[in-house]
Amino acid sequence: MSRLTTLAEALADHPGLESSRLKQDRLELAAVPGAVSVLVELLTHEYGFEFATLLAEDLDCGFTLHYFFFHPADHVLVSIGTSASGELPTISDRIYAADLYEREAEDLFGLHFSGHPFLGDFVLHDDVWPEAVAPMCRRYAATTPSASAERASTWHPRRQLTESGSVVFPVGPVWGDYLEAGLYVLEGPGEQIRLAHTRLFYKYRAVEKIAEGLPVPAVLLLAERFSGNAAVAHALALCQAAERISHTVVPERARRLRVVLAELERMRYHMAVMAELAGSTGLAVGKAMGQELEEALLRLAARVGGHRYLFGLIAPGGLARDLDAGALATLGAELPLIVTRIRRYRRLLEASSSFLDRIEEVGALDAALTARYATVGPVGRASGRSLDLRCALPYAGYACLPPTVAVESEGDGYARMRVFFHEIEDSGALIGAALDALPSGAAATGWEPCEGSALGWAEAPSGAFFDWLRLDADGRVQRWSAGTPGYRNWHAFHRAVEGATFQDFPIIMASFGLSVAENDR
Amino acid sequence: MANWVAHSLIDGIRSESGLDAEHLPAGATPGRPVSQPLAAQAAARMAAICPGGAIAARGDAVGVDFVHCVHCQRCRRPDGDLAWREDAQWGAWRDAASNPLPHRFRHSVNVRYLDAGACGACMGEVRLIDAPPYNLHRYGIFVTATPRDADVLLVAGPVTEAMRLPLRKTYEAMPEPKRVVAMGVCAINGGVFGRSFASIGGAGDVVPVDLVIAGCPPPPLAIAHGLLLAAGQLQPGRGSDALEP
Amino acid sequence: MTWFATAFAALAASIVAAWISPARARSWAGGCAFFAASGLVFVAGVEAISTGGATFSLGPLSLLEPIGFVLNPLRGLFLIVTAVVFLAATPLLVRDAAQYPRHRAALFLTLVAILYAGMLAFFTAADIVSFVFFWEISALAIWGLVTFHSREARPVAAGYLTLMLSEAGTLAGMAGLFILASHAHSTALSSIAAAGNQLPAGALWIAFLLTFFGFGVKAGIVPVNAWLPEAHGSAPRSVSPILSGATLNLGVFALFVIDGPIAIHHPQMALLVLFVGAVTALTGIVYALTERDLKRLLAQSSIENLGIVVAALGAGFAFVSLGHPVLGAMALVAGLYHMLNHSAYKTLLFVGAAGIDQATGTHDLDRLGGLMRRMPVFATAFLIGALAIAALPPFNGFVSEWLLFESLLRVVEIASQPVRAVFALSGAMLALTVGLAMTCFVMLAGSALLGRPRSEVVAAAAPAPVSATIPMWGLVVVCFGLGVLATAVIPLLGGLVRPLAGANPTAALVPAFFGTPHGLPAGLTTTLSGIGAEVGRGVLPLRSLVVVHSGGAATPVVFAMSTALAFAVIALLLLSTWGATRLLRRRRTRRVGVWDAGLPCLQPQMGYTATAFSAPVRVLFESLLRPVVQERQHSQGGFLLGLERETRVVHLVDRLFLNPVAYAVKAIGRSLAWLHQGAVTLYATWVLATLFAALMAMKFSL
Ligand code: SF4
Ligand code: SF4
Repeated sequence: MSRLTTLAEALADHPGLESSRLKQDRLELAAVPGAVSVLVELLTHEYGFEFATLLAEDLDCGFTLHYFFFHPADHVLVSIGTSASGELPTISDRIYAADLYEREAEDLFGLHFSGHPFLGDFVLHDDVWPEAVAPMCRRYAATTPSASAERASTWHPRRQLTESGSVVFPVGPVWGDYLEAGLYVLEGPGEQIRLAHTRLFYKYRAVEKIAEGLPVPAVLLLAERFSGNAAVAHALALCQAAERISHTVVPERARRLRVVLAELERMRYHMAVMAELAGSTGLAVGKAMGQELEEALLRLAARVGGHRYLFGLIAPGGLARDLDAGALATLGAELPLIVTRIRRYRRLLEASSSFLDRIEEVGALDAALTARYATVGPVGRASGRSLDLRCALPYAGYACLPPTVAVESEGDGYARMRVFFHEIEDSGALIGAALDALPSGAAATGWEPCEGSALGWAEAPSGAFFDWLRLDADGRVQRWSAGTPGYRNWHAFHRAVEGATFQDFPIIMASFGLSVAENDR
Repeated sequence: MANWVAHSLIDGIRSESGLDAEHLPAGATPGRPVSQPLAAQAAARMAAICPGGAIAARGDAVGVDFVHCVHCQRCRRPDGDLAWREDAQWGAWRDAASNPLPHRFRHSVNVRYLDAGACGACMGEVRLIDAPPYNLHRYGIFVTATPRDADVLLVAGPVTEAMRLPLRKTYEAMPEPKRVVAMGVCAINGGVFGRSFASIGGAGDVVPVDLVIAGCPPPPLAIAHGLLLAAGQLQPGRGSDALEP
Repeated sequence: MTWFATAFAALAASIVAAWISPARARSWAGGCAFFAASGLVFVAGVEAISTGGATFSLGPLSLLEPIGFVLNPLRGLFLIVTAVVFLAATPLLVRDAAQYPRHRAALFLTLVAILYAGMLAFFTAADIVSFVFFWEISALAIWGLVTFHSREARPVAAGYLTLMLSEAGTLAGMAGLFILASHAHSTALSSIAAAGNQLPAGALWIAFLLTFFGFGVKAGIVPVNAWLPEAHGSAPRSVSPILSGATLNLGVFALFVIDGPIAIHHPQMALLVLFVGAVTALTGIVYALTERDLKRLLAQSSIENLGIVVAALGAGFAFVSLGHPVLGAMALVAGLYHMLNHSAYKTLLFVGAAGIDQATGTHDLDRLGGLMRRMPVFATAFLIGALAIAALPPFNGFVSEWLLFESLLRVVEIASQPVRAVFALSGAMLALTVGLAMTCFVMLAGSALLGRPRSEVVAAAAPAPVSATIPMWGLVVVCFGLGVLATAVIPLLGGLVRPLAGANPTAALVPAFFGTPHGLPAGLTTTLSGIGAEVGRGVLPLRSLVVVHSGGAATPVVFAMSTALAFAVIALLLLSTWGATRLLRRRRTRRVGVWDAGLPCLQPQMGYTATAFSAPVRVLFESLLRPVVQERQHSQGGFLLGLERETRVVHLVDRLFLNPVAYAVKAIGRSLAWLHQGAVTLYATWVLATLFAALMAMKFSL
């Protein structure tokens, strides 16, 4: 608390600051656009705040931008609101992590950020959509067809490398056996990758636009399904935002069961990443064994929650239905067995020198880079950033069930693997602890929508995830923004690939465990 | 040195023997709601609750059109417990005119999987068809990275506008004869994403779909069922399609 | 003889025609004269080989009596090669000359005619004076042609480098010749061999080294080859085929007639030749792989090929000096054969490069591509040239390299360990060279002919010029003939090397199965007959089999092959397979676009470039190449806007030899600067002191 008070006092007569409201655990600032970048710099560099998310809204009063920051040690939030009617200075030159958020706002709202070097051709591909389309504006109807294929032939990838004989290797969008649609533009004179960038949003389904005007339960379906392998985390972030708007207090049993579900999901997500990592190095047996463990976790999830990806369990106010005792007993009995098998799996991997050779010192991301791009999730933790929203901004039952955060410093593929495995084991332990002290009682409380807006968050398996929700008087969604961890981690991925050879590219990619679907929404 | 061989031997054979309902391991499929008798009032409530529009009240019964089910489990809550059936024979021909690949392909089918905006769940399930429990290789079904070798195009996701061209090009790059399988409710009719400026709402608008595999997501067994149908290894409509490798 | 003299007349006529004929006829007149000269020289060469040649002098100019000329079978071979190369290059010369303004066209044709005449005279020179004089004439003509486009900076620099190295080489070679001649008391080239044996070892070594490296400048041996890629790269495109196909043979000739007779008595010298040749070949091909300019790449590959020739000759000298004349003759045959082959396919490729330049306006490999589809007839000939130089059967490169390797392996018949070591090391380097050459020409053919155009200019290329396509196809026939009819070529070359080696390897290499096999054990003859050595007996005019090793007590193996029969069998198999598939195929062929992974369209910059293809080799040889990398990042805050990267490779020879020499010369110049005081008396003192020192030195040495 004291940090926010001192901050509020320090900023009281900062030029350009229009208002400052101190709430219990957050400080809401409003500023003129010109003052934002200085404020942002102050918050991050002087007061130790972390950038959380940035989003635009098309409100009755015009476009508004919200910048969110949080303090990992003090569990507090700061938001800066500014009207986006005039010229907006970019903050990405100081907070590089904000880069993709600004590009998104530019593409979807038609806002312009002065000083940003790469705008356009981000969410809305230039070869599919005309320049003038700004679909997130409220007057734009989600069903308006506006794609046109005419521009296809003029598109060409952005080149950043000037070197004689260098080649642009387009990888994707249709590539690999089971890989997600995305275009990886690799530049280099042969097998060495000098520079890489990703053309994302081949999978743009515009869930945030579709959500406009829908009631929260309908949006919940979208939140679970835009990236189904992290459905619980995304549903949690949305529900927690909805609950904050209505000031709903979720019963303790539901809080703990939410931890159980979220951690079960994390285990499965991480296990899938590990299997893919083994597969990417050509270790077929390792991949098969990893997939078998992933399948075991999926089956366990289906037996506990009725759905292999745990869809339809999280709801505003708690859980959609209570988990029955038999299912929980199964979980408590079987999970330790699976964890034991995972431990053996890890030992086998770590004893395979051919495997370690291909992930050690591959795709290394040093601490300076990871700080610059503010990476989140396991990727950040493998490079020395101990950020974990479960500890930084505890939610659900994490305040009394704190995870142990694994931090590694090397930042290479092996460090990431160790973090993933550590988190799998830690999740297993968390589930055990949550089940041990599971209070009886209701698994949900009544939740009624009301007008307002709030930020919700969750530590998704791939990293910090922030949801912004604004409901109108009818309880319908006016703006839902899903701030994905990918917006920071893709940048880091590009830098980690630089200097690698082609053969290492899929390995680095697998070791990052990034999700295109989560990013593209 | 890790002794993968020894550990694999200790683990033994991990493949499921078949697709039939009696032998389904627990959790291999989430199951699905089926048409069943239900009191009229409850049936009407179920129809209203279903976000996908899969449930229709028919007097004292509900009819479930499974291809619209998004697996939200809302018809499974205490307040409206519809009976679900644990099965995974979810593949179905789009219409009567569709037929499997010619007989010579029966035991050698190459599948090109195409992500047209699928969420991680469909991605995760399709990856597992090669995994030990399902191991589609033993039926002669292989996944290939190039459409040039592919006989079956397996599409997941609602088909985003940006993937419209890649989907069409992939289909065109495949040699004849070829079949298109739409997996997941998204690829069938857009699922929760429906039709919008960014989502086409199913693969059928871009390429001719022959076979659909409902579910959100369809589990690996269901995908296997669909692919085996496309390969002509299973006859549709048999109550319990035991797999003979 | 008259044929040969008339050729000079034709060349003189071409010069006159170039200056006096009207604009439109000028280049045609010159061209006709070149054609005529080539025809005449060809006939003279054939005549020399078939009749054994003749000596002749300058007739009315008998004042200069010691200057004499000789035409023997070996010289006839060099004349034939020269004639064929000029013949193939003439259409392009004519075409290019027509594009120059009046006086420059005349000058151009004159320079070419002078080079041609100089080379012809050089190849027939019988004594040191004419040898050096015409060597120098050719060198000056080459310099004039390299700097012909003197308005660009690069040709001028290349010209100076050429001139500098070639003058230094001439001086060194001349000094070596004078040492030899002073002991032989004769200026006739033929007496030099005798001189070699009388000289004290030290003087002989000096003479040998001076002539080897001095005249080796023209053959591009390490370390005096720095001029070659520069000169060949910047010479006018129609001259490059001549420079590479014909003028490099000047160095081979010098090696053969001057150093050969010495080295066949001194194994160490022979081994030095072998080793230098192998090093030359390897460095040549490694640097060829770093080039992305088509012409420079071909020039580097010429270094490689000449290295192989030099190595083969070195091996031949070594065998002879160690008392194995037949083996020596085999290696010498391999060397001459490879020289022939190199002239054929390198002329083909350089003419092709000129054609590509003409059609697309570029010879940057990273920008070419897709020519196979745009100009199939031309590109097929170019591809065959690449196959031939990559030593793939049924073309000629294969035969000579096979002969060379097999004769190198025969070193097992020599007991001396050091000799075996040098042979093994050189053989390994040559083997690596051949492998890399394969990579290099796959890269060349792949990036120039295949794929999609890698730049817009190439996508809009003009059709290939006929003036390139026709000579190329002519040379394809030559490459194919040399590749398949090895049994016809070997006896010819065997006769040529006999005077030097003292033995004719023909009987051993291509035993006359159709007649009476001699020198072969009876059992072996039966075995070889059993595997088809006598197929076609009485019907085919040629011997069928090349036997490179017919076994012995220590090594009872037979290495033999019939290039012609092998080709016939393979061709038959391929044809019948093709025919059968054509007949049996029932399926329709469906043509669809290139699979582009769903991209809107593929772009030129997405094609794999030559640089990218050769990247692994560059990485492998990084410690040899020592690339200097300059990198500049452009960023704005955390944004990486772009990356500029430049890699420069300084040639090994420049790094280790030329640059230190240049540096030393500069340093000496600086340190001598204090002599320049400007005082006349001081200078007079220096002159007197020098004179005195010289006199004293003479007095004591006498
Ligand atoms: S699970 Fe959901 S979508 Fe499926 S039938 Fe039940 S209510 Fe409808
Ligand atoms: S069908 Fe369901 S699981 Fe599959 S992609 Fe669509 S939303 Fe995801």
